[in-house]
Amino acid sequence: MQHLEHDRLVFLALGESDVDTADRTHLDACPHCRAELASLRHVAGLGADSQRLRDLPDPPEHVWQGIMSEITAAKELPRLTADRQRPDPVVPVGSGSPPVARGSRRGRWSRLATTAVTAVAAATVGVVGTAAVLREAPPAEQTVVASAPLAAYGSTPPAARGDARVLGTGELHLHVANLPAVPGYYEVWLINPQSMEMFSVGVLGGGSDVLLPLPPNVDLERYSVIDVSAEQFDNDTAHSGDSLLRGSLTG
Amino acid sequence: MRATVGHALNQANRPVTGIRQQPGTPEDELAHRFRAGDEQALREAYDRYGRAVLHLATSTLVNRSDAEDATQATFVAAWLGRETFDPAKGSLVGWLLGIGRRKVIDRLRSVARDNRVVETVRQLPDPVPSGSDPDTVVDRLVVADELARLPDEQRRMLELAFFDDLTHQQIATVTGVPLGTVKSHIRRGMASLKRRWEVDGAAPGARSAGLSGAR
Repeated sequence: MQHLEHDRLVFLALGESDVDTADRTHLDACPHCRAELASLRHVAGLGADSQRLRDLPDPPEHVWQGIMSEITAAKELPRLTADRQRPDPVVPVGSGSPPVARGSRRGRWSRLATTAVTAVAAATVGVVGTAAVLREAPPAEQTVVASAPLAAYGSTPPAARGDARVLGTGELHLHVANLPAVPGYYEVWLINPQSMEMFSVGVLGGGSDVLLPLPPNVDLERYSVIDVSAEQFDNDTAHSGDSLLRGSLTG
Repeated sequence: MRATVGHALNQANRPVTGIRQQPGTPEDELAHRFRAGDEQALREAYDRYGRAVLHLATSTLVNRSDAEDATQATFVAAWLGRETFDPAKGSLVGWLLGIGRRKVIDRLRSVARDNRVVETVRQLPDPVPSGSDPDTVVDRLVVADELARLPDEQRRMLELAFFDDLTHQQIATVTGVPLGTVKSHIRRGMASLKRRWEVDGAAPGARSAGLSGAR
């Protein structure tokens, strides 16, 4: 059987000519030409629709910043396990001055991350304001100066989630849900995603909400990642490397 | 003005004339660097295709901030899973749109769940959000991207046929190009669009007709 000419099928698909009797007879008998015509018609319709897709608007800048924050946090995470083997890279709670980034592990990512973090900080007066406010006498209002949705991390069941809010009082309010049961306890950390320096903010009891005081001079611009880990009763003050929840603070 | 879906490097040098890149080459090179983990390639991919992914999300999700979240989640998932991208199975933008399609479908399901809960309380008649079908939006974006990649003459002829509804004969008259050449440009252009739709499209018709994409 002689198939319809391809040019003829294109004509029909573009609606330039109508299906005549000869076309109809062939199409009725030929699944191949029928399918080809249907595909070409569909594609022609999509092509005609595509006129509206010229000059689509750019995504807002904060979408890119969000991508960078998430990727930076994820990129640095595998180092947690490695850090655990080192002699105490963690500054324990209440040890006085906050940890200072050593800057020895900075790569291209850190530079990108710095840009993203700086941009976020500039765009969100809240975070910058927090640092300034916390250095002085904290006001008593329960304003939220920064917040972070916390999502299940790594192999944690995806139902686990939480919310972190830094209050104007200099406290961290943490709400968690569906955390997996662990043999030890949950600990809350602030992490600098650029250097992976971290310090413990406190532990989480059995409840779903906890209010933890932050060090008065904490730099949330650097220590922007909130992490909830599963810890053993092992007298090791370092992060176990087993993160359950994680999120990046934004103002 | 040529179509620029997910195609311009950025706003500043979005092509407005007939200047054309070597077909396929810059995209292939970008896809290669993306897969290899070059951070600059992520930014370039975002500059080229972020608009298309956002369009997919905004036209399927009613809530603007859901759409921006889905766009963000798409690029994060793509970057973290970049090693699963197989250039032999489709284009980078097709792969990104496949991930974006899953993200918006997840979000639509979660919205539908929430609405069902609300509905049982309120007894509302129509809980279905009124966004476009994600598969159709992906197909349209993929075809638009391929149209933008066609050689200038093919693209010009097809745009006259699609957008201005001109016949082959009218196109020959308007452009001064011989009718036989017009036919051949349109035939080749249509074949490229169809092939691309079969490879990168989301709709069942596209997938069963073509290769299975990386999704």
